[in-house]
Amino acid sequence: MTAPKRWLSLTVKIVLLTLLLLWTLVPIVWMVLSSFKPNSVITANTPRVFFTPTLEHYASLFSGGNSLWPYLMNSLLIAGVSTLIAVVLGCMSGFGLSRIRIKGKQHLAFWIISTRMAPIAAVIVPLYLLFRYLYLLDTHVGLIVAYLSFNLPFAIWLMTAFFDDLPPDLEEAAMIDGATKFQAFRYVVLPLMTPGLVTTAILCFIFAWNDYAFAQTFSGPSTQTIPIAAAQLLTQTGIDWGKLLAIGTIVVCPMAIAGLLVKRWLVQGLTMGAVK
Amino acid sequence: MALLTAKPSARRQGFELAMMSPALFLLALITLVPFFSIIWMSFNDVSLMGGLTFEFSGLDNWQRVFTDPDIRSSWLISLFYFLATVGLEMILGTVMALLVYSLTRGSNIIISLLLIPMFIAPVIVGLLGRFMLDPSHGLYAWLLNETGLFDGNILGSVGPAMVAVILMDVWEWTPLVALIVLAGLASVPEDILEAAEMDGAQYGQKLLYIILPSISNILLVALLIRAMDAIRFFAIIFITTNGGPADSTKIIPIRLYDIAFRFFDLGYAAAVGITMLAFSILVANAFMKLLKRQEKRS
Repeated sequence: MTAPKRWLSLTVKIVLLTLLLLWTLVPIVWMVLSSFKPNSVITANTPRVFFTPTLEHYASLFSGGNSLWPYLMNSLLIAGVSTLIAVVLGCMSGFGLSRIRIKGKQHLAFWIISTRMAPIAAVIVPLYLLFRYLYLLDTHVGLIVAYLSFNLPFAIWLMTAFFDDLPPDLEEAAMIDGATKFQAFRYVVLPLMTPGLVTTAILCFIFAWNDYAFAQTFSGPSTQTIPIAAAQLLTQTGIDWGKLLAIGTIVVCPMAIAGLLVKRWLVQGLTMGAVK
Repeated sequence: MALLTAKPSARRQGFELAMMSPALFLLALITLVPFFSIIWMSFNDVSLMGGLTFEFSGLDNWQRVFTDPDIRSSWLISLFYFLATVGLEMILGTVMALLVYSLTRGSNIIISLLLIPMFIAPVIVGLLGRFMLDPSHGLYAWLLNETGLFDGNILGSVGPAMVAVILMDVWEWTPLVALIVLAGLASVPEDILEAAEMDGAQYGQKLLYIILPSISNILLVALLIRAMDAIRFFAIIFITTNGGPADSTKIIPIRLYDIAFRFFDLGYAAAVGITMLAFSILVANAFMKLLKRQEKRS
């Protein structure tokens, strides 16, 4: 009796899902596809799906005077170092915060979450002035510090949430067996934290890699990151779309893959432990 | 500060303190110094024109913040932009999650595909938006033109430009809401749903009386996370319209950036920045309260 209704709702479901998938994927597929199109096809008056693919845009990115290599290296170095510092310090601090019993812990937690939520535009203003005084404009250290301003509180907060999930019984058992607190942390707790550490690291790296506002303000000729390379091409008159879409593909693909690798812990990561 | 008020038993927590301290010390250094700087800057006339100059100006900047019609209109635009983006993301994200949740097969691959936009750098989202909407060879511009819905420069027209930047933000962040809601749906009591089905409840009734109430907390988490990020990021607008045309998309972060780095009026920018900080602290406060409530519940 309910069969026709089931069938109807199934159709509605399929239609809606198809629409959502198209809405989500068309721009991405179109970007990746177009990055392999010759310029004449990209600038044609009607969109074309079939064409002879070319690698010319990728080749031109890595050759000639304004190669993408330095931008890529800057991005990797700055995002990498800020991630490393955030994860190491965040892991230590997260363990401490999760286990310590002190008054005012709530206030400490509130301070940490507020620093993470601070609007980037508001943070840029004083940092710009301080960096100018300290000669940190156009340096790798400056951008690493800028990224730590949001990645460090994120890492502390998230690692605390991951440690909170782990009952302290394990360490206590190890300590009854004669382990010191450090040994219990190092040999019992830390090996269980791999998912937490990997998730935190990947998310920190994505946040830093994807940043545009800080890099736009603080970087100079020797520290520009990939998003800056993209923006520079975009502000030119007569945009070279082929090159731009190739950069876009290079920026997006590794992060999408890395993000999906930690899909299971993504909710916990992106809600900073509020949802498990 | 909390360390000083520690109970005597803190002595035996030396290891925990030692573990905590390096990160907290570094965080204090890189956040408190800028925090006090921005407050000090807001009471000064800080100019970058012809070298950096500092001149105490009392409440001048603050008076301007509360009387400047440009600032007021930027806050209004921001408010509209937040309500539209966050509202659409909540609705679409919930629909997305409910659809994926109802799948019996393939939900894993489908949610993975749907999640991709949120890993994309906002500046690339803006770039992609400009490419898709390019009047002479953008795919979406072509579609709109062919179907007769709109012909012209979308990002260059007041109205359509706003719709476009809102939809770009919605495109990028709806998956995050869907992901959060999907996690919440796992906690919907299965037995009650079945019982309701036995009693002949329609899908709409189940949604309204069982599913939505049991994920209300999760929806609130999603809302707060999005509210906070909506004021944090501005790269999409920065790279597409940069506030134009005719200031119609000039949300408050873009206005602040203009004041600071186009007119080099850093003191005034600092005062505007503090009002933005106040907003984000309110959101952070709500987030903490919500977390506490959840802890009590579990």
